[in-house]
Amino acid sequence: MTWEIFKFELKYRWKRPATYIYFAIMFLLPFLAAAWDQLTIGGAAGQIKENAPHNISFMMLIVTAIPGLLLAAGIMGTPIIRDYEHKTSSLFFTTPITKYQYLTGRFLGSFVTALFVFSGIVFGMALGHLSPWVDPDKLLPFSLWNYLHPFFAIALPNLFIMSGIFFMGGALSKKMLVVFTQGVGVLVLYIISSQFISDLDNQTTAALMDPFALGTHDFVTQYWTVAEKNSQVVPLEGLLLSNRLLWMAVSLLALIATYFFFDFSASKKSKKQKAEAKTNDDPIRIASSTIIPEVTQHDGLATNIKQMFGMSWFYFKWIFKQVPFIAILTAGILIMLSNAQNWGKVYGIFRLPTTYSMLELIQTFNLFFIIIIVMYTGELIWKERDVKMNLIYDALPYPNFVTLAGKFFAMIYMFIALLSILMLTAIGVQVMSGYTDFQIGLYIKTLFSDTLSFLLLFTFLGFLFQSLTNHKFVGHAVFVLFFISTLIFGQLGIEHRMFQFGSTGLGSFSDMNGYGHYLPTFSWFNVYWFGFAGVLFAIALLFSTRGAETGFMMRLRKSRLRLTKPLLTFTLFSIMVFAGSGCYIFYNTNIKNEYTNSKETEKSQADYERTLKKYQDIVQPKITDVYLEVDIYPRERDFEARGTYQLKNKSDETISQIHLQYSSDKNVTNTVEFGTDATIKEAFDKFKYYIYELKKPLAPGDSLQMDFVTKFDTKGFVESGSNTEILNNGTFFNNFYFPTFGYNDGIELGDDDTRKEQDLPEKERQRERTDPIGLAQNLITDDSDRLNLEVILSTTPGQIAIAPGYLQKEWEEEGRKYFHYKMDEPILGFYSIVSAEYEIAKDTWTRENGEKVNLEIYYHKGHDLNLDRMMKGMKNSLSYFSKNFSPYQYRQLRIMEFPRYRSFAQSFPNTVPFSEDMGFILDIGDDDIDFPFYVTAHEVGHQWWAHQVTEANVKGNAMLSETMAQYSALMVMKETYPTEMMQKFLKFEMNSYLRGRSREQKKEQPLELVERQGYIHYRKGAVVMYALQDYISEDSVNVALQRCIKDWAYRDDQYITSADLLGYFRDVTPDTLQYLIKDMFETITLFENRAKEATYSESGDGYLVDLDISSIKYRADSLGNETPIQVNDWIDIGVYGEDEDGKDKILYLQKHKINEENMNFKIKVKEKPTKAGIDPINKLIDRNPDDNRMKVSLKEDF
Amino acid sequence: MDLQISNLSKTYPNGVQASKNVNLTIPVGMFGLLGPNGAGKSTLMRTIATLQEPDEGTIMLGDLNVLTQKHEVRKVLGYLPQEFGVYPKVSAAVLLDHLAVLKGITNSSERKEIVEALLIKTNLWEDRKKNLGGYSGGMKQRFGIAQALLASPKLIIVDEPTAGLDPAERNRFLNLLSELGENTIVILSTHIVEDVKELCTNMAVINKGEVLLTGTPSEALENIKGKIWRKQILKDQIEQFKNTHNVISERRSAGKPIIHVFSDLQPGEGFTAVEPDLEDVYFSEIFGKKATVV
Repeated sequence: MTWEIFKFELKYRWKRPATYIYFAIMFLLPFLAAAWDQLTIGGAAGQIKENAPHNISFMMLIVTAIPGLLLAAGIMGTPIIRDYEHKTSSLFFTTPITKYQYLTGRFLGSFVTALFVFSGIVFGMALGHLSPWVDPDKLLPFSLWNYLHPFFAIALPNLFIMSGIFFMGGALSKKMLVVFTQGVGVLVLYIISSQFISDLDNQTTAALMDPFALGTHDFVTQYWTVAEKNSQVVPLEGLLLSNRLLWMAVSLLALIATYFFFDFSASKKSKKQKAEAKTNDDPIRIASSTIIPEVTQHDGLATNIKQMFGMSWFYFKWIFKQVPFIAILTAGILIMLSNAQNWGKVYGIFRLPTTYSMLELIQTFNLFFIIIIVMYTGELIWKERDVKMNLIYDALPYPNFVTLAGKFFAMIYMFIALLSILMLTAIGVQVMSGYTDFQIGLYIKTLFSDTLSFLLLFTFLGFLFQSLTNHKFVGHAVFVLFFISTLIFGQLGIEHRMFQFGSTGLGSFSDMNGYGHYLPTFSWFNVYWFGFAGVLFAIALLFSTRGAETGFMMRLRKSRLRLTKPLLTFTLFSIMVFAGSGCYIFYNTNIKNEYTNSKETEKSQADYERTLKKYQDIVQPKITDVYLEVDIYPRERDFEARGTYQLKNKSDETISQIHLQYSSDKNVTNTVEFGTDATIKEAFDKFKYYIYELKKPLAPGDSLQMDFVTKFDTKGFVESGSNTEILNNGTFFNNFYFPTFGYNDGIELGDDDTRKEQDLPEKERQRERTDPIGLAQNLITDDSDRLNLEVILSTTPGQIAIAPGYLQKEWEEEGRKYFHYKMDEPILGFYSIVSAEYEIAKDTWTRENGEKVNLEIYYHKGHDLNLDRMMKGMKNSLSYFSKNFSPYQYRQLRIMEFPRYRSFAQSFPNTVPFSEDMGFILDIGDDDIDFPFYVTAHEVGHQWWAHQVTEANVKGNAMLSETMAQYSALMVMKETYPTEMMQKFLKFEMNSYLRGRSREQKKEQPLELVERQGYIHYRKGAVVMYALQDYISEDSVNVALQRCIKDWAYRDDQYITSADLLGYFRDVTPDTLQYLIKDMFETITLFENRAKEATYSESGDGYLVDLDISSIKYRADSLGNETPIQVNDWIDIGVYGEDEDGKDKILYLQKHKINEENMNFKIKVKEKPTKAGIDPINKLIDRNPDDNRMKVSLKEDF
Repeated sequence: MDLQISNLSKTYPNGVQASKNVNLTIPVGMFGLLGPNGAGKSTLMRTIATLQEPDEGTIMLGDLNVLTQKHEVRKVLGYLPQEFGVYPKVSAAVLLDHLAVLKGITNSSERKEIVEALLIKTNLWEDRKKNLGGYSGGMKQRFGIAQALLASPKLIIVDEPTAGLDPAERNRFLNLLSELGENTIVILSTHIVEDVKELCTNMAVINKGEVLLTGTPSEALENIKGKIWRKQILKDQIEQFKNTHNVISERRSAGKPIIHVFSDLQPGEGFTAVEPDLEDVYFSEIFGKKATVV
């Protein structure tokens, strides 16, 4: 009998077009993603191939999760509901089949159908990858196994999991809405777990909790290298296996519950109905004697508006009673609260829950807003028809617009209520964190302008789709297609905001600059889109359904009658608003400013390289002196710089041509004048590249003066990417706005995939370490070695303007404020100009010789939370570095805050611009890493590592400046804070390094040849340098650095490389440890250290720990292919006990020679041991750091 | 004020001709539109109720053109569609109030008054706070008439209101209809002859989109007086009689078939003349066209 029902179900499904449409979706999406560059799912890029097994399983997971969830709900939720809706249930229930047969038959039939649908993924993806037009360079040899394994290991379980849950929901509730609500629930679990997975402490729980195993998949492969991603299927073991088993068990339980709770009798409902029907049998006499009163029937606009609002209120209440709505709302709030757990965390530290940060948290609700809009525009448009009251409504005397506008206002009420709830939730989050600066005004301003307008615009769109399609689900589908099409539009180069529906471009908020210059753009685009939406509304109105005939042609016929005068006026008005604001926007973005889409920009970059690369290595004079007068106009976001360069021919060739490269910023214009006669020989206006011919060539050793005026003129507003450096408050820019000399390879396209599209060969990221040209340039610029700087800045009163150098004079003149700065020694050609309203915190640091150095922090009013930490960072760093490296070269050190549009701190001579986001707003707890202290120490470190010792412009140079700044910061931190904090910090660094190399797109370099790879020069650098000083002692490292500084500081004839630095390290490293230099700097070396067994027994007055360990050492190539090599290393063996507080306490920690893979150690300790292991503090790079130590158990006697 | 339907025709895209040159004059009072399922009653009713466009023809309500002055017509219209639903989670009082606003009764005290009166009138007062989802079929139908009576309409259209009601509910419903004002045009469409018999002053029989008969019930009865014959027959004789006689209806009495035959003359042995009722009028109009053959 089960078989019969199964067959019946299958036959039914086989006849349904939906089955094939679903299959088509599951086929096409992966097919397009695999075969078409414009649609990407997953992470193939650079060296990771399109059909890499890791990428295949990742794509499969996404497809099973996102469209899959919806389709699984549609297929698995419906079979029982269908019987109820078609009222065939009682037919079934009266036949002699059992509940078991009925349920299993229906379930299996539907499941097989779903399996058919989901199998589309495999076919789609495989065929996509096999398509002849896919670039073979992006593919590995085809292997069916790579598709089948993840399908059976991940996709199929996902289907089964969803099937069990949805089948239960449908069978027990008989309501599709319940099934969809379950779907939202599943999504919520996924989102919550994906949030927790980024938290280093909760990863395992999160990996188990994810019903789709998306996060699990990500987690178990987080340290996979390119080579592994290209060669291995993600094995069904460990956490992934546990996750699958756990969720399949949940699904099975759901099915069992379905069997037990499913009511298999038809009688119950009819009894209830009878009972109700009885309630009103006796007509009451007064009924007939009641006279129906005469009433006044009103008409006209005022009445219609009342009717409209009556309707809005009615539907608003209706929405708020909807279970799915409440479910979505609850889900969204849950996700928000769960996100709040990790919101804005950096190195495990919370950012202050400022109002703008909470507003960004609220944006995590956006997905739910979209779901609500798609669902409820459909529900509202269809409401009367769904409950079959449409004919009653349609015959009532109100004009058409009342319904549509009424429903629109119902949505507005709903949004206002929602936004208020979200705002209160966010305030709740703030209160819970003890933060009370609520900025209600900012909440209201943002939520009820930016967020609300986004919601309203998409509501208009939803109404239009529903009205035109006149089919609820088609309307939904069109909406979804619309979202997909916007993605593709962008890929096709149609990226102008004027074509991105609803895009208004409100940038992020900064305490310093507010919404600043984004407001005009935002306002104009809103006017534009609301004008457009007005037209949509009119169309929706014209085609809306009223009456019994709903065919499109009939509505088209009626629409002519409906185009009444008021509607026509409204439409024309909307068109005028749309077109008028559109013209104004276009005038601003495309005429006043230049607009290029990203493809055009890429092409122009490629053209630059093709046209001018030939000039790359031509000899140019170097700047030796800079005199600048810069007038900053913060309100207009303009500046004018009048400057003089002294140029000197430092080469032994005569220079007859000066190649000027002006800033590619489109707001910048330049004029130059040379101290001698010069004419433009060739002008490349497109690239702002000009070749001047000097009448009198510049002989070696000769000098030349060049005067220039650089104007930065902000004109109207731009389409996107508005300049975030020249601002109303918080201007911070550097000298690269001024003229530079010669070809700038920084303009070249860097990404190899993009280069290939532009027919350019692959490109090395930096010059080789032996490249003589690179060796003759410093890391910053080849325009100068060291130069003398004098700057006079002017700005509006109320702001303070700062450049590197000592303040000579400060005055006011003609309503402007002037600052005169001068450096008394040559600096690198890298200087910053800053202007903002500042509060100042001042302190001094005293040198050993008693000289005072002024310390200043220029900060935004109210951002004083972490000033002490930064001040302490400056002092401790200056002390440590002066003592252990060399004296500090300046008499002052200043930190200046700048807005959070950019998130970094940067070290200029005695001047450190520091982002609002990097430390000013962190809420640092007692056990947290002192992040502002660390950043400060790192930047102060650069005063030595860059500004004293300057590296060449070749591979590996960041090992000088960045890795040494990291080391410097680590040592100051080590001196200031307890070891636990260091270990916590290094754990983050290790994790960032391992994850970073897993995302490498070109090649992982050893540290000594790092090519601008942050995960190597910062993260691996920190880990490695900490280990180095642990092995050879801090003093030895510092001695090496002292020697290095002594030989290399302030040189401008030659620049240092990592090879030079390694020489100093070698010199201080004992012979037995020389291998470290190779492991740490010259190769990519990893360990797989593991504690295998640890027991203890009491022995005499102490304990004897018996520890089995294993250790494997690997060398990895640039793609992460690993080769085991003989281990012959000194590695920590450690034993831990517990202190009074139950915290770990080191009882034993010694380096032992490890020269076999498996070894045994017997260690005597005095106190009771709790844990033991190899490299327990994770000094060495190890992809499974957690198995290095284990609990020690009492040895059992035999 | 009459409702004047002239030359109304409508063919659906699928080819079904729902109205064929319909001409009707419907005066004030209760008008019964009688016809079997699928006769085109609902199409006609919906067209009068401004919800549908005819291909040809005009409908005038007094001086209002129903097809172009829809808004004006809707102001004086009460419409109860054949099949309708309700918001299950909304109470009768709330929904009626909501509909009253849309009917233009924006003065809240007036609205309250009329909503209360209609709920009492339709005997829903006790259940006014109950969600409509819990209403029985009859209660729902009474709610339907309550909403149709909002704002004292001049034209009330009730489409098959008694279908599916049990006898008690049907009675109660017809009582309610019978009380509707004398100044109102009430069009009641039904396929149940009894409904018309009990209530209507005028009637029309419609089938396959065509009006077969119009007039008062008594005129209609007069027309067929003496032409309806009755005979009790055996079960297996039905087909035979259908071939030889103009059988307009067959009923059963104590399990034995009784046929009614339309005929100007005595149709044969065993037939007795009967006093025709409206049902005979109805069936003879629908099945009786062959009458002249005999």
